[in-house]
Amino acid sequence: MCWVWPLNLQATENSECMECHSDESLTREGGDEIIMSRISELLFLDEDKFHLSVHHINEITCVDCHADIEELNYDEDIPHKTRLEPVNCTTCHEEEGEAFTQSVHMEIRGKGITMQCYACHGYHYVTRLASASVAERENLFCLKCHNPYNYHDWLPQKKAHFAFVECTVCHAPTVPHHIHLTFFDLVTKEFFTGNEIIETLDIDYHEFMPLIDVNKDNIINTDEFENLILILRQKNIWTEVHAELVVELEPIVHDVIKTDAVNKCEQCHSADSPLFNAVNIVLSLEDGSAEHYEVDRGVLDSFIMSHFSALGGTRVKFLDKLGIAIILGGIAGASGHWFIRLVTSPLRRRKDDENND
Amino acid sequence: MTNEKLIYIHPAPVRVWHWINAACFVFLVLTGFQIRFAGTLNLMPLKNAIDIHNYVGFVTIANYMIWLCYYFKTGKIKIYFPNFRTFLPRAIKQAQYYGYGIFLGKPNPHTMTPENKFNPLQQKAYAVIMFILIPAQMITGVFLWQVKTYSNYIHQLGGIKMIDTIHIIIFFFFATFMIVHCYLATLGHTPLAHFKAMFTGYEEHHEP
Repeated sequence: MCWVWPLNLQATENSECMECHSDESLTREGGDEIIMSRISELLFLDEDKFHLSVHHINEITCVDCHADIEELNYDEDIPHKTRLEPVNCTTCHEEEGEAFTQSVHMEIRGKGITMQCYACHGYHYVTRLASASVAERENLFCLKCHNPYNYHDWLPQKKAHFAFVECTVCHAPTVPHHIHLTFFDLVTKEFFTGNEIIETLDIDYHEFMPLIDVNKDNIINTDEFENLILILRQKNIWTEVHAELVVELEPIVHDVIKTDAVNKCEQCHSADSPLFNAVNIVLSLEDGSAEHYEVDRGVLDSFIMSHFSALGGTRVKFLDKLGIAIILGGIAGASGHWFIRLVTSPLRRRKDDENND
Repeated sequence: MTNEKLIYIHPAPVRVWHWINAACFVFLVLTGFQIRFAGTLNLMPLKNAIDIHNYVGFVTIANYMIWLCYYFKTGKIKIYFPNFRTFLPRAIKQAQYYGYGIFLGKPNPHTMTPENKFNPLQQKAYAVIMFILIPAQMITGVFLWQVKTYSNYIHQLGGIKMIDTIHIIIFFFFATFMIVHCYLATLGHTPLAHFKAMFTGYEEHHEP
């Protein structure tokens, strides 16, 4: 994402823009010929919120996006042209743009509905999403326009699916996905941040895995996971582990489809479903990003994950063995009892004959 | 020499309830296997299994409520409750019959009457089934039917995995129960005697 700007534009700092755009009352007045009314468009930029955005964190300046601002002319009331060109996000986000052109959101442009990037992402306050929950991801994007309960008539337990599975898991099925494991504070009823967990353990983020991964195979197995919960309890942290199925935030996530979305239950709800292969503990960071630590799939089957159970996909396999043993025991008992009755039937016949005599 | 006569043991509501329950159990267990082993078994598509399981589950619950109302209204519910002074020796005697005496043609120590149709072992087993296992299965089943709606209750009971575990263990028990129950039903005077009785209402009454 490198480009060369004329030297005079390199001098246009965000602070110069904020001289005007930090004014909360700054608006553009205009008229609408169709509805015949005046429209007031807010031009205020919340700098505190902008500072948390992924663009600001990556030192993208105002004029990097608003590239049609050639120079600021302070001799005029408005130091740049009054109406700027729409920002072309694909100048930098080429892959995302390419994926978007394949999606259903591109198709609707043919029906007169224009979806620009900012329709989903907003303008200036785009934040990292790696640590966002399913509800946060859906609320920020899909649910702005879509009510999933209006569709999906074929889907049992809609509420549960929409709560635990991100929309794009089914509607962008080529995107890799994984299970997010997060720690819920049973005292405050909120999720622990990464910093809270790390500070409790009195370590740094890079020391988390060495502390928990006792056998040094770079994956946290069931015993090590249970040990982590025990360590947290010993430090007075009472937590419940929550699990959600989310997508990796890759450019191809913009290739959202409708017709060929996942709708066969067995694709997810089977013992060998690939949906549950990648499991990660997620420790959220302040800027919305996250540290991920790989966890063995078997953890999902354990009772430590008492609040997550996907039909068929995750189950306590010991119960199957117990169940088969119960059934075979019953069959063996009935069969054995019948066999002994069969073998002893001559005795009973002889006794009946004696009684009759 | 035994005297045999027919005695009316099973009223019509009980028989109707029994066979509806039996049919429901068959469907629930079969669809239960498909749901539990979705990737391995292919009896039917998973969605169909879930739909059938849900509908039949609610029929079972309604049927159970009819049973409960009938038995309380008529007072017959007391046939499930043992006499605590005598139930242990009687249960042992009955177990000895099924484990030994039956093979030698000894008479059943229990005589079936309308007021006392269950032998001691049946009485205890059916009390546990009707008042503990079936209600537990119905409650956990309803919770699993809508996990998000009932999330508060599920949470209070230890989480979805706990609810699932209870439901699965009772499922395996009832799958076994159906096999053992059908076999034990053949232990009448003839193999089909008890089956006929559950249709006609009349059991053969034996006096030793």
